[in-house]
Amino acid sequence: MSVAAGRGDALPESLVVAASKLEKRFGRRLLERVEFRGELTYVVAPDDWLRVLSFCRSAPPLAFDQLDCLFGDHLPERATAPFAVVVHLLSHTHGHRLRVKTALVDGQPVHTVTGLWPSAGFDERETWEMFGIPFSGHPDLRRLLTTDDFEGFPLRKDFPLQGTVGGRIRTDLRGKI
Amino acid sequence: MSAPHDLHEPSERLLRHDASPPEGDGRVREKDAGSVRSSATDATEDALSGPPARSGGRGFVPQRPPTPPGSLFAPGVDPDVVVAAEAHAAEAHATQAHGGEAHAGGTAARPRPTLEELKARKARTRGLLERNVDVMTVSMGPQHPSMHGVYRAELDLDGEVIVAVRPEIGNLHRGVEKLCEQRTYHQIIPLTDRLDYLSGFAMNHGFCEAAEKLMGLEVPPRARHIRTLSSELCRLANHIMWLGVHIMDLGTQTFFSICFRDREYVLDLFEMLTGARLTHSFARIGGVAKDLPDGFEERCRKVIDFLPKRVAEYERIVKHNRIYYKRAKNVGIFTSEDCYAWRVTGPPLRAAGIARDLRKDEPYAAYDEVDFEVAVEYNADVYDRFLVRMKEIRESCKIIRQCLDNLPPGPFLSRDMGHTLPVKRDVLQDSAAMIQDFYQVFRGPQVPKGEVYRATEAPKGEMGVYIRSEGAGTPARVRFSTPSFYHGQAVPALVEGEMVADMVAIFASVDVVLGDCDR
Amino acid sequence: MSDPVAQLIFLIVKAILMPVLIITFVAFVIYFERKFAGFFAGRVGPTYLGPWGSLQSFGDIIKLLSKEDVTPLRADKLVFKMAPYIAFIPVFAVIAVLPFGPVGGGPNLFGHRFDYVIANFDAGVVLLLAMGALSVYGVVLAGWSSNSNYSLLGGLRAGAQMISYELAMGFSVVGVVLMAGSLNFVDIVNGQAGNFWEWYFIPQVVGGLVFFIASIAELNRTPFDLAEAEQELVAGHLTEYSGMRWGMFYFAEYVNLVVISAIVSTLYFGGWRAPLTVLDFIPGPIWLFLKMIAFIFLYMWVRWTIIRYRYNQLMSIGWKVLLPLSLANLVVTAIVVSLQG
Repeated sequence: MSVAAGRGDALPESLVVAASKLEKRFGRRLLERVEFRGELTYVVAPDDWLRVLSFCRSAPPLAFDQLDCLFGDHLPERATAPFAVVVHLLSHTHGHRLRVKTALVDGQPVHTVTGLWPSAGFDERETWEMFGIPFSGHPDLRRLLTTDDFEGFPLRKDFPLQGTVGGRIRTDLRGKI
Repeated sequence: MSAPHDLHEPSERLLRHDASPPEGDGRVREKDAGSVRSSATDATEDALSGPPARSGGRGFVPQRPPTPPGSLFAPGVDPDVVVAAEAHAAEAHATQAHGGEAHAGGTAARPRPTLEELKARKARTRGLLERNVDVMTVSMGPQHPSMHGVYRAELDLDGEVIVAVRPEIGNLHRGVEKLCEQRTYHQIIPLTDRLDYLSGFAMNHGFCEAAEKLMGLEVPPRARHIRTLSSELCRLANHIMWLGVHIMDLGTQTFFSICFRDREYVLDLFEMLTGARLTHSFARIGGVAKDLPDGFEERCRKVIDFLPKRVAEYERIVKHNRIYYKRAKNVGIFTSEDCYAWRVTGPPLRAAGIARDLRKDEPYAAYDEVDFEVAVEYNADVYDRFLVRMKEIRESCKIIRQCLDNLPPGPFLSRDMGHTLPVKRDVLQDSAAMIQDFYQVFRGPQVPKGEVYRATEAPKGEMGVYIRSEGAGTPARVRFSTPSFYHGQAVPALVEGEMVADMVAIFASVDVVLGDCDR
Repeated sequence: MSDPVAQLIFLIVKAILMPVLIITFVAFVIYFERKFAGFFAGRVGPTYLGPWGSLQSFGDIIKLLSKEDVTPLRADKLVFKMAPYIAFIPVFAVIAVLPFGPVGGGPNLFGHRFDYVIANFDAGVVLLLAMGALSVYGVVLAGWSSNSNYSLLGGLRAGAQMISYELAMGFSVVGVVLMAGSLNFVDIVNGQAGNFWEWYFIPQVVGGLVFFIASIAELNRTPFDLAEAEQELVAGHLTEYSGMRWGMFYFAEYVNLVVISAIVSTLYFGGWRAPLTVLDFIPGPIWLFLKMIAFIFLYMWVRWTIIRYRYNQLMSIGWKVLLPLSLANLVVTAIVVSLQG
């Protein structure tokens, strides 16, 4: 079961099998495939997000039972779809990893995956708070790490590194977005 | 040097009580039959199912959507398949040629509970949980006397039973990921120190592994061994401190002082090696900052000679202590299924019977050149997490000794013009090195466009580093997926249904550090 | 000087001297606790104030007196202020009936009899149990009057714990009473005449052990200190107390410790009696003092070594282990005593 991933540039056996299964199932819905440094990345459309990830979790040759992390990204140079949500999956049964990405415009929502992996709960809250990417179906989408009265989405590239926002803790906003 | 068997197992006297159901006797409660949540119906459900206690934005309680057919966690799935897969995985690790001498023999002596059994045990220990009752809300506020950082948990209590937990993090958020985007790869290393500030080098190491993977850089063997050695020293320091804090949470401050005293030996080693006790910033892209100083090896050997004996003594005290056994056995059961779902890795996962250790599964640094065992236990409770960490301390000492014995000669930092900082002595004497230094400091390393994710086995769990580069000397996006973030999120699943006094013990056993959690 | 006047003078002297001595001793007991805690943990404890840090308690008193007196806004002020005293005075009152030297006999001081007891009270044991019960009020009222969730929770837990363990204490003491044939502490000590193997701790070994363990719970010390555990959610019934008010509770805890050590020595270990009759020339109070110190050390040793029990485990030990043991002890003692005539 143990695979020395990351030492060479070749994809592990089980991942090749999983990838072929995935491609057979979704075909052209996988918009892009990248292999780099022994890792496999697929880009999908936001509408296919939940479908593809469910398949990743449930299909036995894939069996991605752990969500390693889910986070957002901002690429202002890509004007058509500057935002991205990236997910890293890990399979304990096979020992392989996968990255799945999707490209979004500002404010476009993506379906939550907390139904598949509860650990995405905090991840999606943080992505919402840092990038402004809403997750539809999330049971509790509100700020996680920043203060209750914070305005703006800090990890966006156009948000400055230094400055002052707000100045007091607004307890009337506690628990709300 | 492996410790004798009796240190791995609790005494027979304690094991006899293992077979009986957990303590349900002192919980004197009046309830009418209709509202009792009977454990029989819940034997196949875990804490994830059921209607939430409160909804509407008051707390994150995940709803289970209809699971797609054939899903790994659908109730209809044959549990034997899951069990068999896990047993196979555990067996594969136990018998692999990484050196499973005492391990297989030790665990064959004790019966391993199956996943179903663990779930039933969990349902029994949490059998007092009733959802729709009058609750008292108590805030385990950001200030803790028990040193878990500024983590806030709002507990809904029904008497002694915790009905709901709403965690709140973010009090230590420093925006590390944003800061990383403005700094070169070399400048990010001191930032990583402050993530899990109790094991600074392990964080440096994780980041450097990811950056080197992205750049396709090969680290010289001596540097790899020094990195392994330092990471294991971090693990030692972390676990010894964990032991002190855990026992202090349970009642006595004596142990805390004693463990910190022993941790001082390790911190002194770090000071000798890196110049700092906690914020090491010792790893560099391509190697480490300095070579081992004179006298370090001798001192290190002295420390790892006597530390396992000390730890064995503490372990013996705690393991055979009746009170600890009662407070830790069958408390906070978190099965492997829960661990996968909540991304709980490290000692809690290994205590649930899954022999997953990134040092073996995805080796980095010199871990494939040293011989050690993965610490695995099978009861998934607080007691087993303690056993796992104690075993890891012993294995760390073994690894350090092997690193010192087999330390290859050579450079401690790769001499790669485009990627690494040169040795300072050369900068002042050699013009090529001066140019390299200038280039690396002002522009940063030459990194290809692309993205990479690398996970390493930090003392608290799996730390993953994601770096996306657009070809510049500063990364375009860095994401640290740190273990404590997910462990902090898993606290409701770990603790709901348990008693308030166990909350502290369970929280301590998953080892959350807010620097790691909030970044 | 006629005898009643002499007795009155002696009484006044004893009544003033004993509390003062105990209170001064408690200041040093607090210091010793911290010193021992340090030694058990590989540290040194206080070293700064006075030789070897021995004046630390006095420094603490000055510090606490200089703090602001914070009373919660909606707390019941009178009860809030009285609670510390209710916690400590009752057990303190038991000193009045404990003998610290020989009682009765001929004149021994300036031609008059100086009895080494403040009040030769025929129901001393009853007073002990009653005062132990009263001190529970201090804890519960402190928790209740603070008008705070945590304090209430802590106070109730502490109260329930203390009451449960008092039962076991009471029944163990009855064993001693049966052996001595009297509820008077003076008679109990007189009944332990002779060498240390004739003291009550040997025949009452079960009762003694139960009493010792139950007294740890009465004192709210580890392993039974869940009510005031710092590492749990809150500080329990003491949450809202700060400054000298908290100091009074802290002080009360140690006064209780000293008094209970004296009681344990008196009930089971011969009180002011010397372990060997040849050592009788050393005065009684010295022996009682030595035994008290030994027990104080034992309580501290237990505290700094053992981790605490969870609340339900604590209650189940009190009701399901200690109470039956003390009852069994009582039955066996009764049978043996009646058989011996």
